[in-house]
Amino acid sequence: MSAPGAPLPPLSPALDPAFASNPTVDVVNTSVWFGQKVALSELSCSFGPGVTGLLGPNGAGKTTLMRAITGLIPVNQGTVRVEGRNPRSDRSVHARMALVPEDEAVPSGLTARQLVRYVADLQGVTDRAAPDRALDEVGMLEVADRRVDGFSKGMRQRTKVAAALVADPGVLVLDEPLNGADPVQRAHLIDLFRRLGSEGRTVIVSSHVLNEVERLADRIIVIVHGRLAAAGGQRAIRDAMNDRPRHVLIRADDRRRLASALIGLDSVAGVQFDTDSVVVATSRAAELAMSLPALARDLSVRLREVRPLDDSLESLFRELVR
Amino acid sequence: MTIAVATGRRRFRLGVIIAYTLRSCIGPKRWLGCLLPCAGALLFGLLAHAMKETPGDAFARVAADGIFALVVPIASLVIGDAVFGAEVRSGVFHFTWLTPTPLTQIVLGRWIGGTIVALVTIVPACALAALIAGDSEGVVPAMIASAFGASAYIAVFIAIGCVARRAAVWSLAFVFLVERLLGTALTGIAQWSPTWESRAVFVDFSPGAPRSIVRDGIPVGGGAVVRLLLIAAIALVIARWRLSRLRLTGASD
Repeated sequence: MSAPGAPLPPLSPALDPAFASNPTVDVVNTSVWFGQKVALSELSCSFGPGVTGLLGPNGAGKTTLMRAITGLIPVNQGTVRVEGRNPRSDRSVHARMALVPEDEAVPSGLTARQLVRYVADLQGVTDRAAPDRALDEVGMLEVADRRVDGFSKGMRQRTKVAAALVADPGVLVLDEPLNGADPVQRAHLIDLFRRLGSEGRTVIVSSHVLNEVERLADRIIVIVHGRLAAAGGQRAIRDAMNDRPRHVLIRADDRRRLASALIGLDSVAGVQFDTDSVVVATSRAAELAMSLPALARDLSVRLREVRPLDDSLESLFRELVR
Repeated sequence: MTIAVATGRRRFRLGVIIAYTLRSCIGPKRWLGCLLPCAGALLFGLLAHAMKETPGDAFARVAADGIFALVVPIASLVIGDAVFGAEVRSGVFHFTWLTPTPLTQIVLGRWIGGTIVALVTIVPACALAALIAGDSEGVVPAMIASAFGASAYIAVFIAIGCVARRAAVWSLAFVFLVERLLGTALTGIAQWSPTWESRAVFVDFSPGAPRSIVRDGIPVGGGAVVRLLLIAAIALVIARWRLSRLRLTGASD
């Protein structure tokens, strides 16, 4: 048993939600820096079969982590292993792994089919129909003979997804793969990635569109300032943050009177005025939900809207970044 | 989903990279950037007529200072940067790098692809320049010298692309500072300079060329060809070594 006040020992990887139970990608105590800028700082986590969402604000280190996992950049400290192999030095691992980078850049002068076939040939894919099947998977077969440098951003992304899928990789790293895709294409790609994950592939997806990650990922890893901020399922992350105040937006006829009354409640940790609403911070949301209607009735204040602000990943994310 | 099924024949990766290099790396602007210096070679051929020397002597002098010192390196720089440095800068090199293809094959494929482009642009332009200058005996030597010179330059520029992010700037510095300035002053530098070695190849194979265009202490003829191949080989080894240590960040980084 720990002495009172002593820091708790770190969780074993088997219990720590940052670590997958059956990992294919291991990131151990990894740091990456570019000159004076630290992009990743002693990050440890792992990824296993299924879809894992990688979240973080711009500059958090998501793309750096993805590049380190795929071996595009070396790590300055720590280790990265994909199926037990170093992606930087063991080139055979690239036959099992694929990346869809965020960059819009595509090789010039090639059609979508030629690009996917190029990747297939270098991957040693012997099935000549594989490129067309991969293009069909992402709905690009009809425009396969058009040049990729003339494509829209969404079409480029889908072509890159096809190039990533053509060799049937076990580990798929997708950096903002839904960028530029229209809603129908997004839904189609989300279904595709979920299917790939359910088939036992390790799919790592980063996205700024948080509701898509909610739809996509079984597990979420949040990175802030190059460090691990949270990990687990969406609910698990929320549960882990129960000690932090939740926020409830209230619109009412007489918000000032309501706010003064709310401050007196034990369940309310703070009240903040917005332009036409009151945002209440509470660590006991259920209790607040019970007492709020009675309070409004007693004050003769009409409640027009009561809405929790923390249920989406977006609000959770803001909380973690704060 | 199973995309890949083994039902066909595996393609030779080196050939795939060469084909890609020819198809994708050299875009329309790069072709223009390569053909402009080649047009300059033809102008140097015309310039030889303005000199009061025999056609062989006159062409040898314009070839030494204009073609081998300017046209070949500049056109090779355009090609060498296109086949490697520009891809790394634009962030599309990962399509090649993130495959199990051995790095040696990647480097060799890019170099061979670049050399093929040089063989259909720089070499014919140099031959045509000799013809325009009226030095028919200089046609074949000009072709041999420019072919080996360009292939050495392309290897050097690929290596520079693996070492430096601003490959084009460093490549220009190599040509004008290292080769032109230091190479003129120091024989040791000139011995490893594609410009000086190209001149040495041309002088020995061209019957009309004066020996004065070559520095002392540099092997000529076949020896210079071997030296150019050696320069290319060393540059490719450096490129292969650096490629394994390259940080492949995106175009926006």
